[in-house]
Amino acid sequence: MKRISLIILVLSVLTGSPAVFALGTTAGTDIANSAQVSYVVAGTPVSQSSNVLVVTVAEILDVNVLLQSPTVPVTPGDVNRSLLFTVTNTGNGNEDFSLAIDSALAGDDFDPTPSPTSIYFDTDGSGDLSAGDTPYSFGVNDPQLAPDASVNVLLVNDIPAGLLDGNQGFSELTATSLTGTGNPGDVFGGQGDLGTDAVVGANGGDDADIGIYIVSNVTLSIVKSATVVDPFGGTEPVPGALITYQIVVTASGSGTAINASFTDLIPPFTTYQTGSLSLNGGGLTDAPDADAGEFSGGAVVVALGDLTQAAGPQTIAFTVVID
Amino acid sequence: MSIFQRKLSDRKSATCLSVMLAMMPLALSAQDSGAIQIRTTAEIEVVETDANGEIVTRLEQASKVIPGDIVIYTVTFSNTGSEPAENVVITNPVPRHMEYVEGTAFGPGADISFSIDGGQSWGTPDELMVTAADGSQRPAMATEYTDIRWILRNTLQPGAQGFARFRTRLQ
Repeated sequence: MKRISLIILVLSVLTGSPAVFALGTTAGTDIANSAQVSYVVAGTPVSQSSNVLVVTVAEILDVNVLLQSPTVPVTPGDVNRSLLFTVTNTGNGNEDFSLAIDSALAGDDFDPTPSPTSIYFDTDGSGDLSAGDTPYSFGVNDPQLAPDASVNVLLVNDIPAGLLDGNQGFSELTATSLTGTGNPGDVFGGQGDLGTDAVVGANGGDDADIGIYIVSNVTLSIVKSATVVDPFGGTEPVPGALITYQIVVTASGSGTAINASFTDLIPPFTTYQTGSLSLNGGGLTDAPDADAGEFSGGAVVVALGDLTQAAGPQTIAFTVVID
Repeated sequence: MSIFQRKLSDRKSATCLSVMLAMMPLALSAQDSGAIQIRTTAEIEVVETDANGEIVTRLEQASKVIPGDIVIYTVTFSNTGSEPAENVVITNPVPRHMEYVEGTAFGPGADISFSIDGGQSWGTPDELMVTAADGSQRPAMATEYTDIRWILRNTLQPGAQGFARFRTRLQ
């Protein structure tokens, strides 16, 4: 019996170990199988191989479109507001995809207006529309994606005037396999990679996702006041006197000021008094750390987060010494 | 198996290899006389709903497979010679890009064992252990099997035939 195991050892060296692919075996791969038999006939050991049976992996046509942007706050009349999507080839072959925008969807409060050029590749990876991004043109630069590869795509819309706070507008990106689409399991004979059959995958060979704009009217008012205490108990701004600045930031309107931040340069001929920064009466450290405030580069900076009217006035205070 | 026994059997094997290579011409001549004919086929399961709304499963030749498909390999063999064939052993490596599907190896009248090291050693599923870098052991998963082996319990008489079958999933 031992000789049999050695036959197999030799064969296994020839066949190697199975390779693993992230999204399935690549289209066009030939998978060979052959069985072996060994036996003893009339006292003579014999070993034989069966026919070699080859099965070729067909191409799956499938794609996934995924919105990456959170809901984008906009102001009526805005132009070139972008939504970020990722388009991923979830098939197992190299495939070209066409891209399309639809901003006239049901279920929202307004229809965004696609900008004159409304689909871009986020070439510079910034996540929003910028000078380095490449415009998409159907039939000209349809993205070709290897299995598991993805590309970041921006939809760009203008926002109509005359909208109300809280109004939402939808915009949809669709990616479509250029070999074809259909019901899962539909076959395009011979149209896959390396002449294999192409088989429509679970998503039907196309996919779409919807991004949302929300009208967010918000204004921030800032009121700054100063209190002087001189070294002699008075209120004269003389060298050595302390000036305590108080700044009140108030959001008004129904919208949200996303990632509001307050920055104030220390006036000339004064020196920031270490550890004097506070927000709503609570002390903030000067270091750039977990709390909202820091003093760096000659300025105080306070991160106020997403501010709404409901949050109420935010009071920032800090003290400088007159040189 | 003790370490001593293992070493002993390895040495025996090494000896047998040279013997076997020397016998290759004999083996070929035996094949020419057609003692055992062996053939392998591959099919996929197609699940359909028939005219009565019943779900029916039928086998179809595996011409196009896509990742995730289950491929059923069937090895058929028959003794077309005039002499009985003894110690009949069928082996089939799990094809590249395929994973063995647990519990699907089948063969009437055969003892089935598996290998996780390309056929150097064999065992039943409860015997196959994978040793980690830190020396700890865990049971091997069916997807880690590299080879399947069927040992026929009985002599294959002239005119007799049989089959062995297993299922794999395309990665």
